[in-house]
Amino acid sequence: MEETQNIDVTKNPEAEDAIESTKQKQSEEVEHHCDEQQKQSQCEEDELRKLLLSDIGELPLSPPSAIQVNFVSYFITGFTKPGHDQYIYRHANGLCVIGLAPTHIAFKDQGGITNIDFNVGKSDRSVLKVSGKRKKNAMRSESNTALCKVSTANDSYIVRCCVKGSLLEVNERLIKQPQLLNSSADREGYIAIIMPRPADWTKNKESLITLEEYKEKKQDILLEPCLL
Amino acid sequence: MSDETKPASGDSSGLLNGLLTGGAEKPQRVNEAARSLDPSAVKDLLSLGVCERCILRLITVATFDSDLATVSSSTLRGWLGSGEEEAASPEMSICIVCLGVLQFVFSDDKQTLVKMKSDCGSGHAAWITDLVKQQGHEFDSFCLEVSLPSTISENERAVLLYLKGKYSNEAWLQSEKVSVKDALKVLVLDPLRASLSLQGAKSDSSSFHIRLTYSKASDDAQGLSETTHERKKRKTDEENGSSCISENPFEKVYEPCILSVHCNQMPIFFSGRYFKYSRNVSQSRWIIDDERMGEASVEEIIGGSILPACLGDSYKFHAAGREDIDVRMLGSGRPFLIEVQNSRKCPSQQSLTEIEEKINNSEKKLVGVKDLKFIGSECWAMMREGEAEKQKQYAALVWISRPLEEEDCNSISSMIELKILQKTPIRVLHRRSPLERERTIHWMKLEKIKGNTHYFLLHLCTQAGTYIKEFVHGDLGRTTPSMGSILGCRAEIIQLDVTDVKMGDS
Repeated sequence: MEETQNIDVTKNPEAEDAIESTKQKQSEEVEHHCDEQQKQSQCEEDELRKLLLSDIGELPLSPPSAIQVNFVSYFITGFTKPGHDQYIYRHANGLCVIGLAPTHIAFKDQGGITNIDFNVGKSDRSVLKVSGKRKKNAMRSESNTALCKVSTANDSYIVRCCVKGSLLEVNERLIKQPQLLNSSADREGYIAIIMPRPADWTKNKESLITLEEYKEKKQDILLEPCLL
Repeated sequence: MSDETKPASGDSSGLLNGLLTGGAEKPQRVNEAARSLDPSAVKDLLSLGVCERCILRLITVATFDSDLATVSSSTLRGWLGSGEEEAASPEMSICIVCLGVLQFVFSDDKQTLVKMKSDCGSGHAAWITDLVKQQGHEFDSFCLEVSLPSTISENERAVLLYLKGKYSNEAWLQSEKVSVKDALKVLVLDPLRASLSLQGAKSDSSSFHIRLTYSKASDDAQGLSETTHERKKRKTDEENGSSCISENPFEKVYEPCILSVHCNQMPIFFSGRYFKYSRNVSQSRWIIDDERMGEASVEEIIGGSILPACLGDSYKFHAAGREDIDVRMLGSGRPFLIEVQNSRKCPSQQSLTEIEEKINNSEKKLVGVKDLKFIGSECWAMMREGEAEKQKQYAALVWISRPLEEEDCNSISSMIELKILQKTPIRVLHRRSPLERERTIHWMKLEKIKGNTHYFLLHLCTQAGTYIKEFVHGDLGRTTPSMGSILGCRAEIIQLDVTDVKMGDS
């Protein structure tokens, strides 16, 4: 039987070719399908890249920081004592980040801030446990409630809340790394986060000054504008 | 009584569909029921003002099922011997128990009195059918719901109490009584199915509900209305063992109930994936102080296109996760569900495809949709699929305060399954619990930008629930490690895109 077939095939080389080419076409089709799929996902990837890259606009040398974009900066100078300058960054959601302004007298001392202690007033602020969406157990503070005490080689200074509200957290990383206050008091060296009630904030705001006003007031002291 | 001796039908439901009144052959059960009526009890109740069907319901031993239901009022009157009285007074008095419900007497919502001529349920069914058709739903099956005023069951209780007092220990007193609600359903269900021209087998469950709500006309007109105080007093009295019937329990009823017919389709669902091309479009409608945030929302663009096609009352948008208003959703898109309340019709796949194309080809190109289709009850499983294992891929445009070096690319790429700790970001701390969450960055890749050493594209794949923006800028040190801490400098995120939301299906 085989022989006959062979003879048939050899007798008809065109048929052989036809058979061969059909086979080839079939495997090509399978490959083609895989290719198609690959091509399609490649196509989608290219589309994605185009979308990603085309959206890159101007690239300024120094873009605004997350704080500048998301917070409004306020300051208070000489709070309860001269030279006790602090910042209050207020987020659109009402939360206030409290910290030492660059002109705080603690920074003038030789060697800068060496220690921070949250155990002031009636309780240690660093052990408070605020929980839940409703912020249970948060300490209620007045604007002159003490937050912590920062010490330098020469002296120690009380840092106060400046804002009436619920104390949500203090930056306990400062305990082990007080040098953060020297290197980046306006960012990683923040001291606390307070949540004021809307009515309390409206009243509080009156005793605060804006960034522009602060710059003007302290222009003689402020030597590093990029800090702001 | 007729002489036929037809065998009692075992299956009562199939027997008397659409049987007309008068001239029909009554099965044996019905004859027996008629024979078993206690004439003095019947006369008693008639004089009190109880309607024929309620009498049949309360006094027969047999259950008031569809056999008895198809007995016409006039036949009933014949049995009960109340024919003469009826002929004398043209005004039919309203039953003190069922308040006209089983007599097919009621007021429509325009306060017009309606009295059904054909008294076998089919007239009532026709009236209901008209109202159902007006509401415009497409359906092939229905579930009938009936809501009655609570006074009806109180009326019934009072009458039964009275009967027990007078005819204690009669056989017919002991049997379980079919409630007015069930009796109405038996009377109306089959005629309604016929009237609505529904083929197919009856099913117990249907997603389309027809609700008949009977409500009291007014307190005075319907007698036997207890105040809450009286009801409480009666209930405690009954608990204490004493039975208390109010002074004048069987006052005449002057007005029937008001009947309203409402149809409701259970929610239907559509699924798909959406893309968000704009950095000024929120996922869901976002209004603060009467002002809309952003120029549009994904929810309104998609839901607002599907709702009219369904002729529904309202829609709900559900998505598998979310992104900020200023973050684009690219890549394979994010899975979503649209739930439509009380749809009147279900759009075809072709209509859905047209809706998809319309959104994708819109002038503004804010949002894109793919794979829009109808989905059944498996929709929630689909959304929840792989929730815990969900991985997300992003591309972030990052700026750093020092020039990027070759080493940085290598060190970042080598970080696999990096564990980070994120304190609740300040921007959501006002509405979320203050917690520290551990998350995993599965992999990262830096892509340099031509001609710029301070900016680069960061591609990363992270665990679900990771805050990307905070991972880049560090959130004042509350997310560690961060891009800044890893590269030893300041880092800011300029913009973010979601490039993939991996689910169980591709």
